Amino acid sequence: MTTLSDKKPLPPGTKLVGKWNGKSYHLERLLGLGANGQVYLALAGGRSVCAVKIGLEAAELQGEANILASLNILEKQRRPFLLDVDDAVLDGKDVPFYVMRYIPGSPVKDHLRANGSHWFGVIGYRLLERLAALHEAGWVFGDIKSDNVLVTDYGQVELVDYGGMTAKGRSIRQFTEIYDRGYWSAGTRIADPAYDWFAVAILWLHCFDGKRLTQLSRTLIPQNRHPRELMKLVRSNPRLKPMEAWMDKAFAGRFLDSRDACANWRETIRETHSAKAKASQVPAWMAGLFAASIVLCATAAVWLFH
Amino acid sequence: MRQILLITDGGSNVGESPVVAAAQANAEGITVNVAGVVDEGTIGEFGAAEIAEIARAGGGISRIVTSRQLSRTVQMMTRQTVAGSIRQAVNQELRQLFGVESVGALPPPKRAEVVKVMEEMEETVSLSVALLIDASASMKPKLHSVEEAIRDLTLSLQAREGSSKVAVFHFPGDSYQKAAVMDSDWTANPAKLGALFNRIRMHGTTPTGPALLQVVDFIHETCGNIRTELVDTPQLSEGDLNEVRSDYVV
Repeated sequence: MTTLSDKKPLPPGTKLVGKWNGKSYHLERLLGLGANGQVYLALAGGRSVCAVKIGLEAAELQGEANILASLNILEKQRRPFLLDVDDAVLDGKDVPFYVMRYIPGSPVKDHLRANGSHWFGVIGYRLLERLAALHEAGWVFGDIKSDNVLVTDYGQVELVDYGGMTAKGRSIRQFTEIYDRGYWSAGTRIADPAYDWFAVAILWLHCFDGKRLTQLSRTLIPQNRHPRELMKLVRSNPRLKPMEAWMDKAFAGRFLDSRDACANWRETIRETHSAKAKASQVPAWMAGLFAASIVLCATAAVWLFH
Repeated sequence: MRQILLITDGGSNVGESPVVAAAQANAEGITVNVAGVVDEGTIGEFGAAEIAEIARAGGGISRIVTSRQLSRTVQMMTRQTVAGSIRQAVNQELRQLFGVESVGALPPPKRAEVVKVMEEMEETVSLSVALLIDASASMKPKLHSVEEAIRDLTLSLQAREGSSKVAVFHFPGDSYQKAAVMDSDWTANPAKLGALFNRIRMHGTTPTGPALLQVVDFIHETCGNIRTELVDTPQLSEGDLNEVRSDYVV
């Protein structure tokens, strides 16, 4: 039957009716299973697409809904994140749920693999801009990782899973070990913008050198975990080498603020473009030789047919 | 808020029952969590059952994990226990004051308000965690993971806004009078922990119960025996938040 306790997903077509607000949702398919609940793709009122998170603990779920609600206030010009909070009755039991905007897209690592790594300049820029907006409003995202950074067409970036979002100055609510500044002995777990910069730098290492990154975290003894070890990976990776200065600053938290991190990123990416352009320019001697060969060929032709 | 976190890899074999000891701790307002560490083989039916039962008697949670997962588990258990205690206290208050069964029974807008206050408490309530480490012979290869988990926990606690501190004990102790040995007195600073388990001498016994009772005594002596005010009277209005009293009594 349709109980949540056995952790089995609810069958497609299950209908949730909110007992407070009276809205109904048809569950289409399971999008993800978390430690504290399940997320479904659903149709609200049988029409518009949304995502529904169903949980076991009302208070815990409400905590997440509160964060999404504060995003609603924060970004009035965008479509709201949180659409509804309610309880449904399944099998005679109250099941708390909340409804959020459905965000399509694929994790940044998969996206780069499918669409080519040359997209990472744009994606990185958009990600940093998005973070800067959160930081300026007094929040830190906290749990940056490939799965939480979704990319859609032409490098549009959306953050999902705001479970780690923390007010500045508080302790980070949720993080992923390998992306965590504390884990790499590079600082505290107190939420500040630099905490996110660090995780963004790890994100690029994870995307372009995932194997060596996991290997490193597995083999290093805890006392030796340090950004200098991460920088060794950066310097010996052809994709990341040109970003060395930016990565170093991100690991050390040495940007003035998140706009500076963003501007710095843009500059660095532009430099790699122009470096590439220079490398692909045709040298003058080769052009000269080509012109000479055409002239020679023409003279030969004229001479032959004369 | 006071917690004992027991890290062990098997059953106790000497002295008072650890389940009774954990129940005593719980009676004094201390939550007991248990992390069972297994790397190869299983923890044994008896060991696993005892671990679960100690946590149940101590009002806490138990997990059985490999040493690689230990840091994450210790973090998660500590956080969950704080959240759980606050939720419990708030639910009790709601029942008494408003006849509402739990936070979940409130209409969503009210729920949102209450949860905001609960989260504020989770971040600001003062927290003392005494870690009790099983250092019997079979735990030896796991002690570096244990040490790392302790450092990692301290790093997280240090980031909290409320005051937090940890103390570290291991057992068995050097003699029968002392079931456990203190490795670090209360500290809030991970750097002050030093090398924790350098002077451990291995014994054949696992006096989990007596060691637990000794740590309860230690908390009793250093933190006083006044039950945390928070558990008895949570303040549900935001203005009163700054007055959540600490359990720390010198």
